[in-house]
Amino acid sequence: MRTKRRYILARILPYGAAVDQKQLYLSVIEAAASLLGDAAVGLAQPTVVYCDAGYAVIRCRRGAEREIAAALATVTAVGDDRVSLRTVATSGTIRALRRRMRPIRPIPEDGEIMIGERAYAVCRYPGQKVDLIEKGIKHQKRFFFSELDLEER
Amino acid sequence: MKITDACIFPYPDGDSTVSRMAIEAGELGFDSLVAIGDAGHRFSCAVEILQGAIITARSVKEVLRDPAVRRADLVCVDAGDLSFNRALASTKDVNVISKIHATRQNAFDHVAARTAAERGVAVEISIAPLIHFRGAKRQQALNRYADILALHRRYGFMLTISSAASSILDQRSVREIRGLCGLFGMTGAEVNEALSSVGRMIEHSSPPGGAVR
Repeated sequence: MRTKRRYILARILPYGAAVDQKQLYLSVIEAAASLLGDAAVGLAQPTVVYCDAGYAVIRCRRGAEREIAAALATVTAVGDDRVSLRTVATSGTIRALRRRMRPIRPIPEDGEIMIGERAYAVCRYPGQKVDLIEKGIKHQKRFFFSELDLEER
Repeated sequence: MKITDACIFPYPDGDSTVSRMAIEAGELGFDSLVAIGDAGHRFSCAVEILQGAIITARSVKEVLRDPAVRRADLVCVDAGDLSFNRALASTKDVNVISKIHATRQNAFDHVAARTAAERGVAVEISIAPLIHFRGAKRQQALNRYADILALHRRYGFMLTISSAASSILDQRSVREIRGLCGLFGMTGAEVNEALSSVGRMIEHSSPPGGAVR
């Protein structure tokens, strides 16, 4: 008999992080197995079914969604990049979760700021949020500021 | 009931400024947060920012000599051995005993618990070890928190819950905190009570209509 499933919608932080679905799956499995044990994770069957536009949908068996949501809170990195997953909602259908997805896009405005001797690109997001991303090719350092902080600098 | 994150480490200790962390905390369901170090803005969006201090000392004399005791809204002192923790629990100027997960199993006993309950000293439960540690270290933290919870249920001292976040990536929502605290048997009602205990402590210590401390 086909088992009932539950879907967990999680927002991926920081905004704009390019996360590979397979890498995210491996991180979720590692976090869940470390927290709950292999037996519990085997029964819960967590899988990443969607990963795009700053959101991820994780499928698991019905009844295990609380444990998997707790395990998602312990994900701290995907691959070599620092990432955090914030649970938004749990539902029985992906369709219901899609309605909860509100893609967050940067406000188009170029800028650059110097912190110490390093140059950082300014990415503004709704809600007075400003991410400073170190200029470079890979593993750039990030700072999380607000509009208020930039005005004071 | 004011839901408070009892400890964050904003920029320059971390990579996120206090105002950004306050914006995120508001979205995550918090009403106030305690910033360690120079907090800067007292209010940012709808989230109140309290100034906290963490003191690491070997004796109570050293704690009382620290100027942060008089400056901060919330004074947290890192736990140590049994005698030190018993002394902390009976010290009026100490609000919270922190880093209890890093102590030995018998470092906070029923005597310290009873004294803490009588003097209104809280014990901090930090979710950072549950998020960042793996294996034996996390098992030890869960074990210590379960012991503290059993003592809290018996003697009724206050608990506080903190994210100990130095970045917005370390902050967690109230619902996620409930899930993480459920790992060592804390109920939703106990989590709510622990999250609101800083608000209660501040209310009791502030004169009516006056400054916080």
